[in-house]
Amino acid sequence: MMDDMGAIFREEVRDLLESLERGLLDLKARPGDMGLINQVFRDLHTVKGSGAMFGFTELAAFIHEFETVFDRIRSGDLAAGPDILRLALAAKDEIPGLVEGLPDPEGQRAAILQGLRAIMGGEAVAEGQGAGADEAPVAVGEGPSRLWFRLTGAALAMGARPEIVLDELRGLGATQVVADLSDLPPLDRLDVEACAVGWAMEMPAGVTTAQLEEVFLFVDAEWRLEPAVQAAAPVAVSAVAAATGPATGAAAPAAPAGAAAPAARADQNGTTLRVPAERLDALMDSVGELVIVEARLTELARQSRDPALMATAEQITRLAGGLRDATMTMRMVPMRSLVGRFRRLVMDLSDKLGKPVNFSVIGEETELDKTVIEKLADPLVHILRNSIDHGMETPEERAATEKPREGLIELSAVHAGAEVLIRLSDDGRGIDAAKVRAKAVAKGLIAADAVLSDAQTFALIFEPGFSTSEQVTELSGRGVGMDVVRRTIDSLRGSIEIDSKPGRGTTVTLRLPLTLAIIEGLLIEVAGERYTLPMASVQEIVELPPEKAVAEGAAEFLDIRGRFVPFLRLRRLFDCAGEPGAAQNVVIVQSGEVRVGIVVDRIVGTNQTVIKQMSKLHADVRAVSGATILGDGSVALILDVAHLVGMGRASGEAGAQMREMAA
Amino acid sequence: MSKSVLTVDDSPSIRRMIAMTLQEAGYAVTEAVDGQDGLTKALAQPFDAIITDQNMPNMDGLSFIRALRQHPQGKGVPVVVLSTESEEGLKQQAREAGALGWMVKPFTQDKLLAVIKKVVG
Amino acid sequence: MSMSKLKSEQTLTVVTLTLGRQTLAIPTRFLREILDPLPVTRVPGAGSQVPGVVNVRGSVVPLADLGQALAIPDVGQDDRRRFLVLDVEVAGEAATVAVAADAVHEVTTIDTQTIEPVPAAAIAWPPEFLSGLYRGTEGFVLLPDLGQIFSNLANRPQAVPL
Repeated sequence: MMDDMGAIFREEVRDLLESLERGLLDLKARPGDMGLINQVFRDLHTVKGSGAMFGFTELAAFIHEFETVFDRIRSGDLAAGPDILRLALAAKDEIPGLVEGLPDPEGQRAAILQGLRAIMGGEAVAEGQGAGADEAPVAVGEGPSRLWFRLTGAALAMGARPEIVLDELRGLGATQVVADLSDLPPLDRLDVEACAVGWAMEMPAGVTTAQLEEVFLFVDAEWRLEPAVQAAAPVAVSAVAAATGPATGAAAPAAPAGAAAPAARADQNGTTLRVPAERLDALMDSVGELVIVEARLTELARQSRDPALMATAEQITRLAGGLRDATMTMRMVPMRSLVGRFRRLVMDLSDKLGKPVNFSVIGEETELDKTVIEKLADPLVHILRNSIDHGMETPEERAATEKPREGLIELSAVHAGAEVLIRLSDDGRGIDAAKVRAKAVAKGLIAADAVLSDAQTFALIFEPGFSTSEQVTELSGRGVGMDVVRRTIDSLRGSIEIDSKPGRGTTVTLRLPLTLAIIEGLLIEVAGERYTLPMASVQEIVELPPEKAVAEGAAEFLDIRGRFVPFLRLRRLFDCAGEPGAAQNVVIVQSGEVRVGIVVDRIVGTNQTVIKQMSKLHADVRAVSGATILGDGSVALILDVAHLVGMGRASGEAGAQMREMAA
Repeated sequence: MSKSVLTVDDSPSIRRMIAMTLQEAGYAVTEAVDGQDGLTKALAQPFDAIITDQNMPNMDGLSFIRALRQHPQGKGVPVVVLSTESEEGLKQQAREAGALGWMVKPFTQDKLLAVIKKVVG
Repeated sequence: MSMSKLKSEQTLTVVTLTLGRQTLAIPTRFLREILDPLPVTRVPGAGSQVPGVVNVRGSVVPLADLGQALAIPDVGQDDRRRFLVLDVEVAGEAATVAVAADAVHEVTTIDTQTIEPVPAAAIAWPPEFLSGLYRGTEGFVLLPDLGQIFSNLANRPQAVPL
């Protein structure tokens, strides 16, 4: 059981650390905010308390001094100055290591505590752990003794139960228990909440006052223990064991509930369930299987033409759809869970580089599939780092160009159809396209005479081994990273674009699918083979004009309402044998701002596409982003629209050039 | 009919630990995540005992007990407050608010069972 | 898998199969199941060594042609053709891969002492993809080095710009 508890505790600590970090960072901006101070105190308190509970004593001891400091801040004794916040953040970073029992070879932790004590003026921050002076047990007399007790005050209203007390006393050997009704008032004056009955009994020899104190620990009671033989003056008297006078419990007015900060908790009211991620994955897998079987059933029902079977299949379709939507919703996680660590990163970097930055976040509540969120963290960190390290000017440089000294970085996340757009913009110096180009030529990434748009030029930054920084810095490294960014975004079936204006700043836009598990697909057929296109990227479907039925030259265009759209022939691209039929269709797909037509033999229809990853053995096939199993059990490949669009755009641009030259 | 206990704590791990320990010992356990939640649950059904943390968001332990004791159905149920060694003064306040007992964190499963046995029998 | 690792056990249980005119043996611990041929979905641009994918009980599994990797000439297929579903390691990760066999013969236990290294002069087979060979009743039986073959396939440079 304690193993389970350890896992639950670790998860709790993760949440607490997130809340703690957020609180500390927000406190930096609003040092006097009592709500924040209370929240930070509570988080520290819980980490310490729960840590001690589950045997993380080192952790508890480490947190103890910080808890004390924030308790003092809470009581107005101390201000939450930047030094304390900095140390608290550093301490927060040590907590995962303490939880995992990692050693601290460089003495970080001791240094942090020392720093804290230094700020507190050398005084030991925490008072010693109260040395509970155990009193020596006092036995009363040699022989048996007589005990008398009566519950006092509001003991009954507080839940004290005389029969339990009597049971405990019997456990100590009490005999001849008799009720003492001498104080019982007449019925009309009887207070039902008070206990007017007392009890008297014989206790065996050797029973100590300490044992009796233990029995009466929680009970407001008067009790007397005296030697049984000579019923003389009491030897030991304890008026009210639990130290309060007539308790005010029952009559006490309720304090306003607003004493604690109204910090929003996801699990307020206990309506939120915590489910291990693997269970959600398993559920999603089952739902995926169900959707596939459902497609198979629908197909069979259609073939059978049995109305009852078709009606049942339809019901199953509806139910499976509901289950699918519900399951996918469960997997959605807000961006907020990522943002905390970005705030921290920005703060650390801007401190380190001496570039003050104002970091704002829009759309923290925007939700994405948890797998997407998990994989998104590293790419965003890379981009953010680059933005501060390379994009941001120093305050002096900024002042010289009449920009505010403080730089601006904005992270936004918004839904757009079945995609999420994540934008990271800065108002820094922008990317010098000519410099990027020169570097790419020097590195042999492009030919010296290559014709590239700005967007294409900026995209070179994501090529392996490219770095725009003139000097390699400790922070952004040697150009490793940006190519990893693109690879990660690719693996999420997303795309990445850079827009930059010299002197004005840079915006990096990530487009990501909402989910990785099930998408609405458009099933198409090319030379008897079936493929799926994500419906979200399909703009429209047109017929291929008869005069274009046969391929001509390298680049081909369609005139879609006065705009030239380049198109690709899948038959040719996929090296299919045979000739297409008379009527071919063109599916116009869009990725980013670019539209490309894809020529197919036939549109089969839309379907629920449960995405299966391609194996590593097919990792080199960029045009395919995954596979799905159709109702008849066969496999259809899912086409990577971003990649196809990239190919179409390249051929379109090449074609446009040729046309210009011909003109 | 097993005895029922309500555990009120904002720390999921402590809540689970209490719940698992008591469930193993045959108690029926209901969990609440803060004082407000605890109050709602305590007034919705009778419990044989309540264990509450003090420091919680939304409504702390003492406020919870005071509010509980104001309701007829909230009187008479024994409440045990969890405190830490640094909260000595809390015991006094807790009793004034209407708590029957307290338990100092960290505590062992045995201690928890002993305390619960003490208040519900 | 190296020869020495193969020989660390006294015996080796293998399933034997033919590709073209060549007999191969695959240790049974890799074998998950043997299936009748499944419909294959071609993966455009994937090349001939892993030409497609198949649906194995709801999973999309790549289909590899060991004959291509081992340069065994194809002599056509008949109704003895089977798919072997293997659990192997591809570039450090556990993976399920299907391989086609023109026929599957038997599961047999061989004495590892009879396994010989691939003769350097045997230019017919790429030695880096073979763990060794042994003398069967009808000529040499090859032990393909599945780890090497699949890891090599996973890391091959992009062949087609697809």
